[in-house]
Amino acid sequence: MKDSTALAKFSHLSGFRRVALLALGALVLCLGLIAATNVLAQQPVSGFNLERIQRATVFLIQAQDVGNDLEITCVGSGTIVNRNGLILTNAHNVAPSETCPGDTIVVALSVRLDEPPIPKYIAEIAQMDPGADLALLRITRQIDGRLIDPTTLGLPFVELGDSSSVALDQTITVVGYPGIGDDPLATVRGTISGFVAEPSGGERSWIKTSANIPGTMSGGGAYNSAGQLIGIPTTAPVSTIAASLACVWDTNRDGIINNSDRCIPLGDAINSLRPSNFAAPLLRAASLGITIQPLTNTATPPPPTDPPRFSRLFFSPSVNDAGMPTTVLRSLPAGSNSLYLFFDYENMTPETVYSLRVTTDGIPNPTFSLAPVRWSGGERGMWYLGSSTQPWPNGVYEFTLFANGIAADTARLVIGGAPQPAPTFSDISFGILDLQGNVLGNGFVLPAGNVASAEFLYRGMTDGTPWTAIWYYEGEEIFRTPEDTVWTGGAEGRRTTSISVPDGLLPGNYRLELFIESRLAATSDFIIAGAQEGVFPKIFDNAHFTTAASVAEARTSPAISTFAARTNVIYSVFNWQQIAPGTPWRMRWSVDGNVFYDQTQPWNGPESGQQYLVQVTGPDGIPDGTYKMDLFVGRLQLASIEARVGIGQLPIDRFALTTGAQLRGRIVDAETGQGIPGATFVLISDQYSVSDFTWDEEQIYATSISDQFGRFEIDRLLQFSTSDRQIPYSAVVVAEGYLPLSADGLVVEEGEDSSIDLLIQMIRD
Amino acid sequence: MAVIEIRERAPETTQRQRYSHYFAVAFCLFGLLLGLNLRDSALFATTQYADTRAGIRAFYPENWLIDTSSPDYVFRVRDMTEPGFKTTIQVSMEPVSPQTAIRNVIEALSLERMQTLAQYTILSIDPYFLEDQPEAFAVSYAYAAGNTDPFLESVPEVVRGMDILTIKRGQAIIISFRSDADTYEQNLPIFERFLNDLEF
Repeated sequence: MKDSTALAKFSHLSGFRRVALLALGALVLCLGLIAATNVLAQQPVSGFNLERIQRATVFLIQAQDVGNDLEITCVGSGTIVNRNGLILTNAHNVAPSETCPGDTIVVALSVRLDEPPIPKYIAEIAQMDPGADLALLRITRQIDGRLIDPTTLGLPFVELGDSSSVALDQTITVVGYPGIGDDPLATVRGTISGFVAEPSGGERSWIKTSANIPGTMSGGGAYNSAGQLIGIPTTAPVSTIAASLACVWDTNRDGIINNSDRCIPLGDAINSLRPSNFAAPLLRAASLGITIQPLTNTATPPPPTDPPRFSRLFFSPSVNDAGMPTTVLRSLPAGSNSLYLFFDYENMTPETVYSLRVTTDGIPNPTFSLAPVRWSGGERGMWYLGSSTQPWPNGVYEFTLFANGIAADTARLVIGGAPQPAPTFSDISFGILDLQGNVLGNGFVLPAGNVASAEFLYRGMTDGTPWTAIWYYEGEEIFRTPEDTVWTGGAEGRRTTSISVPDGLLPGNYRLELFIESRLAATSDFIIAGAQEGVFPKIFDNAHFTTAASVAEARTSPAISTFAARTNVIYSVFNWQQIAPGTPWRMRWSVDGNVFYDQTQPWNGPESGQQYLVQVTGPDGIPDGTYKMDLFVGRLQLASIEARVGIGQLPIDRFALTTGAQLRGRIVDAETGQGIPGATFVLISDQYSVSDFTWDEEQIYATSISDQFGRFEIDRLLQFSTSDRQIPYSAVVVAEGYLPLSADGLVVEEGEDSSIDLLIQMIRD
Repeated sequence: MAVIEIRERAPETTQRQRYSHYFAVAFCLFGLLLGLNLRDSALFATTQYADTRAGIRAFYPENWLIDTSSPDYVFRVRDMTEPGFKTTIQVSMEPVSPQTAIRNVIEALSLERMQTLAQYTILSIDPYFLEDQPEAFAVSYAYAAGNTDPFLESVPEVVRGMDILTIKRGQAIIISFRSDADTYEQNLPIFERFLNDLEF
């Protein structure tokens, strides 16, 4: 970005002959027009408008109402992602929790970029994904408590980029507030150093960076060279670490400021970015202004009371489509670039902070470590962390998992040397056997029945080698092959093993472990749910949309696939069968193909039932569009329904423009050079010229009223003209006691973002 | 010594000359009146606004910025040349029930403004005479207004306002006038002329 100050000659010759003044004024207006046109056309432009990003970056203060005082409980950074005041940040910065118990969120802006931020607004949480540690805030009040109409805010904002397109070694810029409110904005540059895979977000659940980011910048923004937000610097403070607290007020009024006072958790240095693609559904949902609320089985189980625990750490070179390890490694040959650490977890909650510390030959390795972050899985199950996009240098690796700052478990792996020929089992998949002995089905979700079968590949086996298959149901062993079982299938091939229960396999979560001798060689989890429909499970049925005056009526209302525009309430209804409590299921909503709700959670209702109800509400009406609801168990899509609202297509947001030129400037008295407060700068839409302008708001692109220093700024970006399409703006400047100014043909040449700074001189009437 | 006095005989003005004089005086007067008229036309020039759906016809000062795009009001005009707060006239309509009294509308309006306007203070509530209306009230109030752009550094201004409220055909009609407190009295005649010309 390169700013320049333009002396647009919107000025008049000062004179005493009032008769000639208007004629001269007209002449100078023409000059002003030409000058301004040239000024706008010649702006040097670049793709990265740092100033606009900085102005869109806010400092967030979470505070708690204590008597008549507000006590600061947490601080963080955030980024405005919508002109109506939607702010993206980390959930842990703003959501009430044990470490951050505040109930008020104050938004502070950098009015002057080289100074600390100034509190301006109060915000509320509009959307939140605690697992991804992301929250979207909506500015609702002025700092003095007055309500705000968000549509009138017109704040600078940044565009979400596609985080899946970032590449290793790409340069990024991170913007946020490095202190607890006493520092101006900071900009940190670095590169993408890797990616971390997790079940919750696949291969790019985290973007690793070499940038040295302070913990308080958590919730800020990381930008690509085009100025798009591609990641959110994220780390969660661990309350047990006193060194990570800033104690600055004597909140308990004992005359001493120490850890007994309310201290602000700061968090460790950040080396992980939550990809911006995680935030896209939240932003879409908040922009739509609609709420999705399940009305059935809403009771949540009590949180675990035991401390979080990690166990059964092992490594796999890859992960299959169901998020399961393909095999279990003992070592990894040199040149490998794919490795995943798998482990079991228990007693986890969304507030649990976990981290992974990796050392190579005893030296900390930040590239493969993960800074403390919030837990994004369920209460218990199998999890993984890994990477398949960068080479793992040779060495002895030690992986230590931490839960809430306490080391929980450690595993070692040697990487290097030639591939070791060793017997292996791999690629387990589950299904139902047909008469020819083939395992059929979708692989990891089986219908309820008496028999479940697993198929796996084997290599390097020797007949006579002892091997064992152990089956578990909800963590309890239910079957294992006899201890003296030996291998008889030859060196390599495909093999099947089954479990049979005469009374039928109960719905729930199952696991198979395969051992060669006493070594774990392969393992995988699977789910049994639903009735048999051939070899596939039938879990959800009769899914449909409807609308009704009440929740009770909605359960029995007929299916509807087309709704009138501005419908306020829509329900989705479906039946379910044989799904055990605790089974992970997922509900995903999209509009016009764009996901705006995606939640995976354990099933917490009865095994079978009818009329599961989900309510979709929009206080101002549900926006037109084609809405779709998909239901999954594990990663298997089991139901999908679609309905149209209004014209079946989302309206175009004409304010969503994020590329263009930022226009601002100063209006001054031509004689004195003093700023003129209260002057009005009117930027007329490109469809009208000054002569067409009839002082109708509909003809206006944007207006600004100058402040006490005569400064003004247009809150919408000016669109670039292209060789195919010219976008000529016009402008009128009026102030009492001064001759009005006007100009046509203000054009910004095609290019990238820029800032335009005008100096407008007015002469007295 | 004899003094010989030569005196010019007083000229007799002709009828034509007399008419010329009268015409010159009349022309000057006419010019003066025309000038005054032109001045008034410039100062009090108006533009017509008509909304057949809302059943409103009004004349607002020329070159004031009109806005009809908001759902909050039928129309709003502002004098953008004013320094500081832009003098505003606004007409809005709210549906009411037969049980709704004007006082109820005033209360609802006050509650809303208390939440959106800084230092909102009602100065007076008085009956007001509106032609063809059986009952109307005028609510005078004041509040502090500032620039909505958080990046600009503007000093808040004290704004004085007056709402004229009446109920007609199941609609509460709220005609609002707001101006900088310093120029309120000076600008009030503009509002009075607006009210005189307003048809609803």
